[in-house]
Amino acid sequence: MSTTTLPTERAAEPARRRPRIAERLLMSEYLVLALTVLYVLILWPIVPSIATRATMLDVLAAMMPLLVVAIGQTFVLIVAGIDLSAPSILATASVVGASMMTDDGGFALASGIPILAGIVAFVAVGLLIGLFNGLCTTRLGMPAFIVTLTTMMFFSGFALFYTAALTDDGSSFGDLPASFVAIGQGTVAGVPYSLGVAAVVMGVAHLVLSRTVFGRWLYAIGRNPRAAAISGVPVRRAVTWAFVISGLCAAIASVLYTGRLETGTPVLGQRILLDIVGSAVIGGVSLFGGTGKVTQTLYGVLFLSVVDKGLQLLGLDLASVFAIKGLVILLAAVLDALRRRLILRA
Amino acid sequence: MIARGVPGNRTTLFLLQNTPVLLFIVLIVGFGMMSPRFLSLVNFVNIVVQAAHIGIIAIGMTFVLLVGGIDLSVGANMYVVAAVLGLFLQDLPLSVSFPLVIAIGVSFGWVNSWFITRLRVPAFIVTLSTLFVGRGLALYFSGNKMVGFSPSVLSLGRASYLGVPSAIWAFAIVFVVAWLTLSQTTFGRQVYAVGADPEASAKAGIDVRRILVAVYCIAGGCAAIGGLVSLSQVAVASSTFGFQKEFPVIAATVLGGTSLFGGRGGVLGTVFGAVLIQTVENGLVMTNADPYLYPLVISAIIFIAVLVDSSRSAILERLERRQIRVERG
Amino acid sequence: MNDTEAQPAFFAAEGLCKSFFGVQVLHDMTFSLHPGQVLGLVGENGSGKSTTMNIMGGVLPMDAGRMTLDGADYRPRGPRDAESRGIAFIHQELNLFRNLTVAENLFIAGFPKLARGLPFIDRAKVRVRTQELLSSVDLDVAPNTPVSRLSQGERQLVEIAKALGSNARIIIFDEPTTSLTTREIERLFDIIGRLRRQGIAIIYISHILGDVLRLCDDIVVLRDGHRVGRAPRAEMTVERMISLMVGRTIDQIYPPRDPPMSPGAPVLEVRGLSQRGIVKNIGFDLRAGEVLGLSGLMGAGRSELARILFGMDPHETGQVRVGSTAMTTLSPANCMAHGMAFLTEDRRAEGLMMEASIADNVALASLPQFGRTWMRLIDRTRLGDEVARVSASVQIKAPDLQRTLVKNLSGGNQQKAVIGKWLLHKPSVFILDEPTRGIDVGAKYEVYKIVNRLAAEGAGVLFISSEIEELTGMCDRILVMAHGEIRAEFARAAFDREAILRAAMWHGIKEVA
Repeated sequence: MSTTTLPTERAAEPARRRPRIAERLLMSEYLVLALTVLYVLILWPIVPSIATRATMLDVLAAMMPLLVVAIGQTFVLIVAGIDLSAPSILATASVVGASMMTDDGGFALASGIPILAGIVAFVAVGLLIGLFNGLCTTRLGMPAFIVTLTTMMFFSGFALFYTAALTDDGSSFGDLPASFVAIGQGTVAGVPYSLGVAAVVMGVAHLVLSRTVFGRWLYAIGRNPRAAAISGVPVRRAVTWAFVISGLCAAIASVLYTGRLETGTPVLGQRILLDIVGSAVIGGVSLFGGTGKVTQTLYGVLFLSVVDKGLQLLGLDLASVFAIKGLVILLAAVLDALRRRLILRA
Repeated sequence: MIARGVPGNRTTLFLLQNTPVLLFIVLIVGFGMMSPRFLSLVNFVNIVVQAAHIGIIAIGMTFVLLVGGIDLSVGANMYVVAAVLGLFLQDLPLSVSFPLVIAIGVSFGWVNSWFITRLRVPAFIVTLSTLFVGRGLALYFSGNKMVGFSPSVLSLGRASYLGVPSAIWAFAIVFVVAWLTLSQTTFGRQVYAVGADPEASAKAGIDVRRILVAVYCIAGGCAAIGGLVSLSQVAVASSTFGFQKEFPVIAATVLGGTSLFGGRGGVLGTVFGAVLIQTVENGLVMTNADPYLYPLVISAIIFIAVLVDSSRSAILERLERRQIRVERG
Repeated sequence: MNDTEAQPAFFAAEGLCKSFFGVQVLHDMTFSLHPGQVLGLVGENGSGKSTTMNIMGGVLPMDAGRMTLDGADYRPRGPRDAESRGIAFIHQELNLFRNLTVAENLFIAGFPKLARGLPFIDRAKVRVRTQELLSSVDLDVAPNTPVSRLSQGERQLVEIAKALGSNARIIIFDEPTTSLTTREIERLFDIIGRLRRQGIAIIYISHILGDVLRLCDDIVVLRDGHRVGRAPRAEMTVERMISLMVGRTIDQIYPPRDPPMSPGAPVLEVRGLSQRGIVKNIGFDLRAGEVLGLSGLMGAGRSELARILFGMDPHETGQVRVGSTAMTTLSPANCMAHGMAFLTEDRRAEGLMMEASIADNVALASLPQFGRTWMRLIDRTRLGDEVARVSASVQIKAPDLQRTLVKNLSGGNQQKAVIGKWLLHKPSVFILDEPTRGIDVGAKYEVYKIVNRLAAEGAGVLFISSEIEELTGMCDRILVMAHGEIRAEFARAAFDREAILRAAMWHGIKEVA
């Protein structure tokens, strides 16, 4: 008789029913889309410009780098991990990559292919930091949130240090080659490159998560790591890869951001830590692991970006934006906890 | 996950337990060789004065880590306290304002605990969110401007009683109260029990939720006191006041031997950890190191502390594993 | 010892019943206790001992029946309530805080204070009280010793002291001696003797029949949730207990099994497998087409052996060959690559992803086989077909394999999903750890049929079960483990349930002899 499972059996006594509609809404993938529409509708009378074509295009272009990072975060969240280091990867990749291509560092100027070398540097930074996070979590048994918090602090500091050491003004790498800047700013037939890059990342991520062996493994690990291990899933390797992918996505996003801003800067991404985790979670990717889709992350990113734009149009100061963002993330986490409770009860 | 191949013996454990002390000795010798001024008594007192606010907040953090939680919002809490104090001091005397803002710090902790215990949202995400909300609120209270304080605040920070600087007094009082609470009260011992095994604690009749709420309130209160000590030293609060303070605070606590996994540690170690962290910073200043290196060094130290803690926990778990064969007779 | 008989019973249980998932595990259990009495409770695993005690200790509610304490109705709302009424339950897994001291563990719910209004603990008083309690259990350690420094036996004494500190009048011991040394056991028995002289009633649950016979005034024997015998010590013998525990009724029917004409080649060979504190010098062969039973009491090391064989726990020495390969490293992935499969005893925690669909669960172990191209894109059509085929072959009853979540299935269908997962992997060696635990009779029968079919198709099955009857019904050969070692081997022709139980209880019986 397995007495250990019994207390939960007992807790499963018929609970009082809540209104079904609220429950279904809470569990729905489209909740956050509905919230987005609601938000726009509420703001419309106050700032009519929120519903214009120009605003929408602006939001769309601005959200692409965030979308790419958040997709990487989705991989880590699915295995019940968290990657708080993404902003520092953005910053470090930005300055290291930029230093390859400009006079301030100019490490790859002589190579003849500075842009390619620069992009390789971006990607390498992302992969290496991701690998470090993954190995610390899986091989050394350190909690993911504190490992990534530490790498966050280290590489944020490193980016500043690197910039101060290599640039004249000590604050950023300017004068990036025009063809690199084009990645972040250019358009093909009116469609920004960045949209294309984000679409490709999204497509690949979706394919990997929903259609490949590796994707299935990630969900299995998030749902029950012990059952996964017993079923022959290489748990440690897969979790490490999830962190590497998160690093890679942050690096790609860094390319887009850096191109958009035309400078490699160590403060890149300083403000978006909450947006990264928050957009995935509010979209429906659980902090407890095992569930989440790329489309959910997309909805979450859309929501946060629209909220951001709305606050901007309202002319709110930084303080309020901070506070509201924090509240939104808290709301996302609360919704996640409520959803989980519903699932466990059902 | 399957634990295998962890080097598990008591010698390793002993070394891991004493890593911070070894680190401390290495640092002192290293900095001492690089800068003779470093080893003076004046400098040591200076280190402790500078460590006081980190140490006080880290003492609050110790309570939270002991129950297996985390509070990333302490830096924001400091800033809220500073901003609100700026408002209060326009009409109220210090003697009234100080207790009021400490109460605000405690309420900040209570809000964290409400989300954690009532809604069961993971502590790190709650406190990460309130970090941002708190900074936003503080910016709002301060009108996005630097908050300056009257000379009376600064004189408090410069004051000495019985030859001991006020910051050290505050540090010592908070430490003694915390130490008494943890080691000499039922509440304190229950904090350890909850950290070791919340389920068994509930079975033993401990009100687990009450303990959790209390530790986050304590962390909030300590963040407020730490903020006040820090204010009394600098007399201004810019928009970066308290920014990323959670890092040295967690570092001090974990370096002091309190486990991130709950149930092990204490405030005496935390005091040591805070002084150690400040020694590093002070040493870097004394040796004219690049200021941009500070966060790199601090984060490297946190990393080592967490690594030591994780390895130690893994080994302890192995040592406690149940055996089924006992050689009889 | 019969002087206590004169006193009237102060606790009585009448007609206790309990079911889990529609399976009744306790039928009409009745017994009573009087002060100073030591009541022994024996029975095979799953016979209802723990359920009875969990009801008494407030861990489980009863479905029907009545308990009285001092003549008044007793219906505990939880373990704390039971404790406050004077009933203490000392579990096999001790409930102590290892990071606290002995004294702190005794008083954690509330320390005596220095003075009214002051929050501080009166350390002196705690020390004195702790010393009193410790001396009443003969434990000679300082009150401020951390529990982590104590041996298993000493920790048990601390638990007893804790029970005494809460003024317990009935103390329930569940398998208290499994991890104690001989000397510690002697000390425990002395203390139990002392407790009964103070008028405390004891319920003693153990597989070590010799101990039960030596210690208890009265012995109650359980089988399949029924009370099948109660007698004072003088009328009880180890032999009689065993025959009562085994019984003669066969209410479970097993599918006919054609044992292989000639034994196949060994598919799993184990030699000299040892891990300190867990198993010692394990050696056996499992042949193709064979169902090999592994019997033993709880804590004999059966599951631990299975986990080592599947590479989930480490081993220090020994060789394992799977098929023709000598395994250099044991890990689940490596074992699976050589055709092994393992159904764990804890279905919920280790076997299934409860919040995933049946199809996802069945597919989990075989995903790489369905990967195409370098990206390992899953061939969903083929996977879907195969999952459907396997699910049909194990007869999972569910509306929709892709949509129905495993947590909404009955225990039997959940177990079939786990079996399906492994069948999809086409194992040549299948280790089944308690495959019929917690599932109803119909589902059991279907699991048996699957096992037979697997063996007929040439797989070797290692069948671990606590139910001897099940093993004798299903297996070609049975190994019996006790105390981490293989103690006996029975061929089908020589199956004798009493002999098997005796071998499993080797330890307890040895001490009587």
